[in-house]
Amino acid sequence: MIDMTSILAPWTTLTLASEGAAGAGPSGMLTWAVPGLTLLATVLCGLCAAFKVKSKLPAWITVACLAGSFAAIVKTYLDFGSTHQAIAHAFDWFNIQATVGKSPVNLVASFSFFIDPLTLTWMLFVTGLATLIALYASEYMSHDVGAGYCRFFAAFNLFVFSMSCLVMGDNLILLYLGWEGVGLCSYLLIGYFYKKPSAVAAAKKAFIVNRIGDLFLALGIFLTFVHFGSVEYKVIFAEAAKYVEMLRIGRFEEIPFIVQLIPLLLMVGAFGKSAQLPLYVWLPDAMEGPTPVSALIHAATMVTAGVYLIARTYPLFLCSEYALPTVAWVGSLTALLAATIGMAQFDIKRIMAYSTVSQLGYMFAGLAVLSNVGGVFHVVTHAFFKALLFLCCGAVMHGFGGQLDLRKLSGVAKMKGWLVVSIGMFVGCINLAGVPFTAGFFSKDMILAEAFVTPGMAPIGWILLFTAGLTAYYTFRVFFRVFVGPQHYEMGEESHGDDHGHAHGHDHAHGHDKAHDHAKHDSHGGHGNHPHAPGWAINAVLATLAVLSIAAAGLNFIGPKPMQGHGGTVASMVQHSSTSFTSPFAHHEGGHDAGHGESDGHEAHATVKPFVPGPWAAHATLGEAPHAGSFLGQDPHGEVLGVGLMYWVSGVVGFIGIAIAFVLHFMGRTTAAKSKADGLLPAFGPLASWAQHKWYVDEFYDFLIKRPILVLSHIFHVIDALLVDGLVNLVGATPRFIGKALRPSQSGRLHEYATGMAGGLAMILLIVLVVTTLLKHV
Amino acid sequence: MSVLLTNATELIASTTLAQTGFPDPMASGILSHYLFVSAALFTIGLIGFLTRRNLIIMFLCTELMFQAAGIALVAFGRYHLDFTGQTFLIFVLTVAAAEAAMALALVVLLFRRRETLDAEDWTDLKG
Amino acid sequence: MDQIISPFILYGMIALGAVGVGLALPKRGQTPQVIGGLLAALAAGGIILGLTIKATEARPNLFFYVFGVIALGAALRVVTHSKPVYAALWFVMVVLASAGMLLILSAEFMAFALIIVYAGAILITYLFVIMLATQAPADDTMEVLAQYDVEAREPIAATVVGFVLLAVLTTFMFRGLPKVEGATSDTSAVLVEKLPRLYESKLRDRKLLESSERVVSVSLAEQVVVVQKGDDLSTQRRLAGLAWPSDVKISNVQTLGFNFLSEHPGTIEIAGVLLLMAMLGAVVLSRKQVQLDEDAKQKQAMELASHKVLSSDDGGAA
Repeated sequence: MIDMTSILAPWTTLTLASEGAAGAGPSGMLTWAVPGLTLLATVLCGLCAAFKVKSKLPAWITVACLAGSFAAIVKTYLDFGSTHQAIAHAFDWFNIQATVGKSPVNLVASFSFFIDPLTLTWMLFVTGLATLIALYASEYMSHDVGAGYCRFFAAFNLFVFSMSCLVMGDNLILLYLGWEGVGLCSYLLIGYFYKKPSAVAAAKKAFIVNRIGDLFLALGIFLTFVHFGSVEYKVIFAEAAKYVEMLRIGRFEEIPFIVQLIPLLLMVGAFGKSAQLPLYVWLPDAMEGPTPVSALIHAATMVTAGVYLIARTYPLFLCSEYALPTVAWVGSLTALLAATIGMAQFDIKRIMAYSTVSQLGYMFAGLAVLSNVGGVFHVVTHAFFKALLFLCCGAVMHGFGGQLDLRKLSGVAKMKGWLVVSIGMFVGCINLAGVPFTAGFFSKDMILAEAFVTPGMAPIGWILLFTAGLTAYYTFRVFFRVFVGPQHYEMGEESHGDDHGHAHGHDHAHGHDKAHDHAKHDSHGGHGNHPHAPGWAINAVLATLAVLSIAAAGLNFIGPKPMQGHGGTVASMVQHSSTSFTSPFAHHEGGHDAGHGESDGHEAHATVKPFVPGPWAAHATLGEAPHAGSFLGQDPHGEVLGVGLMYWVSGVVGFIGIAIAFVLHFMGRTTAAKSKADGLLPAFGPLASWAQHKWYVDEFYDFLIKRPILVLSHIFHVIDALLVDGLVNLVGATPRFIGKALRPSQSGRLHEYATGMAGGLAMILLIVLVVTTLLKHV
Repeated sequence: MSVLLTNATELIASTTLAQTGFPDPMASGILSHYLFVSAALFTIGLIGFLTRRNLIIMFLCTELMFQAAGIALVAFGRYHLDFTGQTFLIFVLTVAAAEAAMALALVVLLFRRRETLDAEDWTDLKG
Repeated sequence: MDQIISPFILYGMIALGAVGVGLALPKRGQTPQVIGGLLAALAAGGIILGLTIKATEARPNLFFYVFGVIALGAALRVVTHSKPVYAALWFVMVVLASAGMLLILSAEFMAFALIIVYAGAILITYLFVIMLATQAPADDTMEVLAQYDVEAREPIAATVVGFVLLAVLTTFMFRGLPKVEGATSDTSAVLVEKLPRLYESKLRDRKLLESSERVVSVSLAEQVVVVQKGDDLSTQRRLAGLAWPSDVKISNVQTLGFNFLSEHPGTIEIAGVLLLMAMLGAVVLSRKQVQLDEDAKQKQAMELASHKVLSSDDGGAA
């Protein structure tokens, strides 16, 4: 059992690296290379655009800078290990001293980085993947060499800069800066093909839906400042330690309401950024952007920002009564919903997008069921294999001229030059499906086990288990349809040199052409309608990622001794950061520890009680933790045949999914377009078509939100034209009108002037008479 | 009615045409009579000016207004036993004469231009 | 209202007068004019009656009423007569009546000056210009009054304006006059002191003065007249205890002249210059050659053409 206060204690006495702390250990100043290099790369790519560079120079600049950032992070990791924390201060940003009423109020937010193991975990995979994907993009985007290329890489670098600010910032305002920055770069990159209306619409949708989440995040930050008096993590965590103390001694009621409210607001921000219900609708549309963008931003990095936020502010979430259950339900329902939609789509990139949404749901649910290690580990593994999957889909798309419809591709693995892609795809698929002993399997299993252990979260666990089966099914549906089976392909519309302006997957009737060359259609760039296998850059990246995905499994096992077997390296990283928390339900008090060989090495703080977090503390009596849940009566961590029970369960479920996919999509399939699944569709009735139409969520939003806003904007337009313009015109028309009204008085006729004069005199005298009479009588 | 008659005899009895100097101060009742006549004369002149279209008649009506003003001046002078009223009237007379000469010369010129004395004809300042 | 018996009579009569004058204006036929004139007369009479009845302490001269009625009637005629010459003649009547009123007010000089200057000079000028400015009728056409003479324009508006003004003015007058302080003493005697030479002839007639003596100063308070021979101060003697010659009266002309020259000398000069300029201006203006206006030329041409047609017809017929 890890003592929470002993973990949090260092934060209260944190020394600033820039102060030259007395023997505090390595400074984190090397991490400044990350934003520095990426910003430099952005500027240089911008200059390339200005100087109309037409080579691949921006790509090499990007790869070089990102590689440098990665190296800096690796060095920092080696220096820090998994136990050290530091704050690296660059310069003061906000330093506002004010007085509100009688109390002094300081807003201090400086450009400092908060280096702790959680940060390093995140930055390692962010910079690593960014480097690899930049390399991939150098070839993928090579058709666009010129202004577009420079633009792409400038935005790419800006994205990594913002992400580093987000992850490494030491205060919520720097996090918000990064948050907005990644949103902006996502918009820029999704809308990269700005001449394509669907891409532009998708970019706008992404930005706007993110904004909704950002609003709540901002409110959360405001409340944090109002209550804690600061936005810096070190202050917040120091204060949070006090609330943890209250939880520990069972005084949950004394935690103020604001502290319970803040996580709810932050959570909605996370939902927006990480595409959870109901703000997930932007992610599938974001596939309009180029594939490297989808891989980096919408699979591995930006969408994990939400998970990062929750992980970082975990102490606050633990103190709140409703935050974690809400996150759990939202995450699991999102996972289920996205999986059902993914099962019915035909565009492989879209299927991967829905799978991302679904897996993000897993991560949120993982954090919410008190498996912080599981959640973070899943982030790391998912980043690798999802990036791998996306890049493979991208390679397919690139090679087949934009063709992404799985009804039109088949047997790609056996085509010449596609082997690396196919192997990469296979590796990614088995990770995603959770085949036993892959990295994805371990991370998913941690979450599932914890879900059943934590009291009240069993329904979550069942949903997640069922979703795991669905995930396995649709993942292998893609694999079996596209990569194995009879060879067939139809080229997409995007022949080389003409990548813009064409929708994915539409192709005019090419007919059922089994021949490999389509001599009649010869398009511009000379590649004609032949699929072209990926080049060295793409293959290298895919191979690297495949290897890394497999190797990630090892992270579960290797690591500092106390953490072996329970998450390994990642666990040690997580448990030494601000996220550190051990669920009181994970290990039964006393007794069952003997069953875990790994648990012997735990630091024994027998004198310190575990604390029950908010959602359970609200209903707990003093000193008594609610009973841990179980999986059908059994402890999920319990061992059956030397392997954990949950391992068996999730493995079986995964195999069932793969088997179904095999039967339906591989066995007896002769054409690309149809498979046995089509025959089963009527059995599901309308559900199948609803799922294919994404459960009409977009249409629902359109009806609920977009239409009223359009109506409102029409009303405002009318008001603007009539009222505002009318008012302005009135101001102009009034003198004209007065002039027109008064002009007849200047008739040029002497008599009229004279009458006017005499009448005026009479009037004045009359008024004087009346007034004096009245005054006299008054 | 008898009041009226007795007053009438008194009136006739006290007929003196000229009163040299100002032997008796004037009562305000008498002054109001004179002022009423002056105001009525002025009003009639004003109405004439506003109504008639012949330029010369219009000027004639302004002269009528001068007359009214003159009566009022002298009446007030008599009331206050001050000769300023009459002095002023001399100057008014002078100016009226000068102005009448000028006005009529201009009317002649106007007539030569348009062969008409209609004031309505001259609307060149129409805005 | 202090000067008139009742304000309702005042306003009622004013309204009646307005109606009357409005009717009397030359727009409709002759009968309405007569009716209008009668109404106006009635109104004027009513108001004057009201004033007279209320004035208990003193009433104006009989001649005031005579001249007043004449003045108002003639003025109405000036305004309502269609023929310009007649209007000018009625104006002469107004001038005469107003001169009469000035006489009653002890301003003889002004009365005569008015008649001489206005009726004698200005009105004659008006008549000359009327003659000049009337288009000579052609031989065979009847003399027809110009349209602009026959028709008055907008009588209602003008009448309303005018009589509202009258109502307000009379209200102010009849209410405010009692508060105006009149003079209480005779100033003429003071003036006498300033004009010692007035007495010389009277005293010589009474043989109180030798032929070579002249009056130096008069003091009414002490009743002393100081006389001397020429400039010889040694021959000064005082005549005291004289009964004031009752027939020494300062005439209006003398008073006026004295006031004029002692208090407003500059104004006299300016008035002279003004008259000079008027004269020169009149000469200059009348010598100016003025071309006939375009519209008037066209009208003339048309009329000539129509006359020619008529005359040629007549000539043909005859």
